[in-house]
Amino acid sequence: MHTSFLTHMNFRWLRIALLVTAGAVAVYAWHDPIGGPNGGTWVGYGLGGLGAAIILLLLWYGVRKRRFASNAGTVRGWLSAHVYLGLALIVIATLHTGFQFGWNIHTVAYALMIAVVLSGLYGVYAYRRYPVQMTANRTGVSPQAMLEEIGSLEQQAVELADRIDDSTHQIVLRSLRNSAIGGGVLAQLRGGRPKKSEKAEARTEAMLEEKNRTLVASLDEIKQREADRIMRAESTMRFVAGQLSEAQPGQQVARIRELMDLLGRRRKLVQRLNQDIQHRALLQIWLYFHVPLSIALLAALSAHIVAVFAYW
Amino acid sequence: MERYRVAIVGSGPAGLSAACHAAELGVSHVLLESAPHCANTIYRYQRGKHVMAEPAVLPLRAPLPFDAGRREEILTAWDQAVNDHRTNIRFNATVQSIAGERGDFTLTLADGATVAAEHVVLGIGVQGNLRKLGRPGEDLPFVQYQLDDPEAYSDETIVVVGAGDAAIENALGLVEQNRVIIVNTRDEFTRAKDANSQAILQAIDDDNVDLECFYESTVDRIDALEDGSDYSGQLTLDTKDGKAEVPIHRLIARIGAIPPRAFVESCGVRFPSDESAAVPEVTAEYESNVPGLYIVGALAGYPLIKQAMNQGYEVIEYIEGREVEPADTPLLRQKFAAIPGGDDVPATLALIQQRVPMLAPITQLQLREFLLDSEVHAPAEGEVLFRYKDYSNSIYSILEGEVEIQPGNPDDPKTPRTSIPLGQGQFFGEMSLISGRRRSATVVAGRNCIVIESSRRSLLTLMYSVEGVRRVVEESFLLRAIQSQIAPGCSTDDLSEVVGTATVEKFAAGDTVFREGDTGDCLQLIRRGSVTISREIGGREIVLAYVPAGQYVGEMALVSDSPRSATVRAAVATETVRLEGTAFKRLMEQHPDVRRRVREVYKERLTEDMDMANRTQSGNIISFLVEQGVGEATDVLLIDESLCIRCDYCESACASTHGGVSRLNREAGPTFANVHVPTSCRHCEHPHCMKECPPDAIHRNANGEVYIDDTCIGCGNCEKNCPYGVIRMGTETKRRPSLWTWLLTGLGPEPGAELKPKKKEGDRKKAVKCDMCRELDGGPACVRACPTGAALRVSPEAFFEMSGKDD
Repeated sequence: MHTSFLTHMNFRWLRIALLVTAGAVAVYAWHDPIGGPNGGTWVGYGLGGLGAAIILLLLWYGVRKRRFASNAGTVRGWLSAHVYLGLALIVIATLHTGFQFGWNIHTVAYALMIAVVLSGLYGVYAYRRYPVQMTANRTGVSPQAMLEEIGSLEQQAVELADRIDDSTHQIVLRSLRNSAIGGGVLAQLRGGRPKKSEKAEARTEAMLEEKNRTLVASLDEIKQREADRIMRAESTMRFVAGQLSEAQPGQQVARIRELMDLLGRRRKLVQRLNQDIQHRALLQIWLYFHVPLSIALLAALSAHIVAVFAYW
Repeated sequence: MERYRVAIVGSGPAGLSAACHAAELGVSHVLLESAPHCANTIYRYQRGKHVMAEPAVLPLRAPLPFDAGRREEILTAWDQAVNDHRTNIRFNATVQSIAGERGDFTLTLADGATVAAEHVVLGIGVQGNLRKLGRPGEDLPFVQYQLDDPEAYSDETIVVVGAGDAAIENALGLVEQNRVIIVNTRDEFTRAKDANSQAILQAIDDDNVDLECFYESTVDRIDALEDGSDYSGQLTLDTKDGKAEVPIHRLIARIGAIPPRAFVESCGVRFPSDESAAVPEVTAEYESNVPGLYIVGALAGYPLIKQAMNQGYEVIEYIEGREVEPADTPLLRQKFAAIPGGDDVPATLALIQQRVPMLAPITQLQLREFLLDSEVHAPAEGEVLFRYKDYSNSIYSILEGEVEIQPGNPDDPKTPRTSIPLGQGQFFGEMSLISGRRRSATVVAGRNCIVIESSRRSLLTLMYSVEGVRRVVEESFLLRAIQSQIAPGCSTDDLSEVVGTATVEKFAAGDTVFREGDTGDCLQLIRRGSVTISREIGGREIVLAYVPAGQYVGEMALVSDSPRSATVRAAVATETVRLEGTAFKRLMEQHPDVRRRVREVYKERLTEDMDMANRTQSGNIISFLVEQGVGEATDVLLIDESLCIRCDYCESACASTHGGVSRLNREAGPTFANVHVPTSCRHCEHPHCMKECPPDAIHRNANGEVYIDDTCIGCGNCEKNCPYGVIRMGTETKRRPSLWTWLLTGLGPEPGAELKPKKKEGDRKKAVKCDMCRELDGGPACVRACPTGAALRVSPEAFFEMSGKDD
């Protein structure tokens, strides 16, 4: 419909990132220092400085996006720069190392940086993929409305089960209590409920199905028996008989059907709601890696710089 | 029979002030009040409500105190003043008729008593008296017609009569702690707001809520019960199945109020028009067309408390034969500073009426009121008064000198460079006022020019109450709309035939203006609202285009002499100017220019339509958005859900830049094909929120934003009137969360969080809504804060154009 952060200003930041990367590669290829390329040559320092500057700029994104009144570019532009310059970092930082890796603080900083960029890449993927799925799954119903609808279906189901008989009531109650919405981080990411609750629900439905079958099968027989009982009943028993006849099997069958329908609708809704929770979790989970890793990167980067200058 | 010099009807601010002043002067008087207490309208405000004293600049000259404050303080102070002045007030005295004239009036009360008076001052407001049941037992002590606090009752059986919002809200409030029966004369709750009628239906269906409804039932009678039972009475209902008897503790009837107009007319007072907003004409001394009968306060068109109190004072002075300089004279003198001789207010008023024909037919009082709400400018030669595409909607009258109107876009080379001079007495700016759209021309001041700029609201009030003003404004609009949209360069004479055939047609949202296949016999110039153009394609109606006010439709059939090629429907409540085909064709024959212009539009539309017909998806989006009321929007927030990561930074940005209160609810609102319409102000062409704002605090500024200024009194009318639910009541705070504190220590609120105000800032709620961040550079914060570019604010036209190009 319109411009996203990836296509912002006709890929301005992609073009800038490509230009910077190409420049870095060219300088690196052209430069032939004694002892081979490494971080200590002037090209190495240049690339290192450039990389550090980019990292600081990318970190500043977290500040800029919370400065709501700020006029320093749009947040979309900042995110666009964040993504493309972040990707360019892979090349710039790798060239800065001169492909010298080891078990030291320098390589830790490099590794952290790669981890941050990779988690960010997942973020870009998630941002492009899940919003559309989310809208499709919601079909215009908000999670709040889904939750309310589930609540109302549950209430109806319990009331109906209560009118069927005590054992049904118990089973439905237990089944409803078992099924979870949302849950811990892992449950949210999985987007489903524990297998246990799936099974409990399947059992309930199977039980209801079974009950219905038996009822339908013995419908005529029961009807006859009930009718006989009512005929035989004393007048003082008429009241009870009236109640029994009201709860006659035909109606019972209809109630069980309705109950199954309610439970089925509820289960679908719970699935959709969990799916929605999963989408939201997938959209956010990576930030719990991306942000702490970048803080760690900042620390490691500082240590790297201090170490380099201390041992100069 | 008692005889007084003045009988004052109604103890509102105006009546009280008049009565106290009469008492102060020792003039024999009586104040008749139908309620058992003073100032019933204010008395009925909710407990603790803050009452404002607008306009702040106007001095108070009443014998009783009035300052902005809580309802209780004000009422107590007034009661005190009534006692101190030994005012002769009679409560529970409902006046049923007023007959006679100056020197000999007879007022008949509901209990049959009569009062004779030489003069009558009518200050009964516009709220009307609460409608009673009109059945036996309607005045029993447990029958009431209002409910201040639903929580005051518990464990009672309460019958609520009525099906409107008040009845529903009362019933739902009471049912928390009582058994409630609601009695509805009809079989559904159609009179109430959707939310209310849904809530009541749900409560009726819910077995756990002790609420029952008698549909198609009316009250037959109410009897007191003294059988030792707990119940205070028995209600007999006429239901569709016969009579039903219900023992009750309490009955609350919420069946509306009787508008006072019929009563006022029965006293012989004339209203200038049938508009519901019309007020009776009164002289500068507040005298109506019935000699000796004076009208003051809201009924005379002055809804503000302070104005009404001043009038109460003044009217007694006038009756006593004294001249008073009205309280607003010093204010007017200030306004007139730019006019030579403006010091002499009466003379300047006369000069204005003499020079500006539009203002000639109005009364002195109306003129004063109108000018109080206006500004007088003396712009330097060449100064721009407003620009093309500005969003202001004030109207200007030329008191002296000349201005130059330059229609069309100055940057568009296709617009012909014409300019129309306007001279003394003429007015301009009415196009935006009527269409609700941006200015269609730039206006530049000439030499020695003095103009009066008046607000949209005061002119509309004038148009509703004075037929002459309305006619002048509308005729001029018609002519200028045709001149600017269809036939530039044609003189008034050239257009007289077409204008003569022009009629105004009104359409409700969804109505058909004309249908595909009809014979085309007219051109429809849209003067307010907007329409959609659709065509039947493959058995379905596909929307091809959206046409806003200011443009016209129906030219295709006239140019090509063929039946209508498409169906045109009103997208929102729409008014068109219908120009008859024959007269229009003649105009085209006489003026090849006009023909060429119309043909150009025709060709452009034809290609557009053909393009659109191949892209049904964008047509569907247009119809979806039109259903959401976007048709009346000027700038709407849309979210592309394929990009929206649901981070809610838009809401945070809004709260952060607006005192911790977000005016945007991202999640709410419908979605179609990834286009989501969140709950956020659309800055309607004719803002519903502006309708009943007592302090006139809602404005639109030149860039189009509709905003609420600081004079908001928190009455909540705009919140109720907004059909899109985008106004909320909130308290802004000056607190600013610190980003670094939060970032580094995790203490304090995150920037963008919804904040509660500090104690000393108070918690008085005001209406808040989107103001498009008019005080920030760079445009709406919500859009600028969106990291992915999902949020955008656009005018519907721009959006429809965009969606047309895209797929």
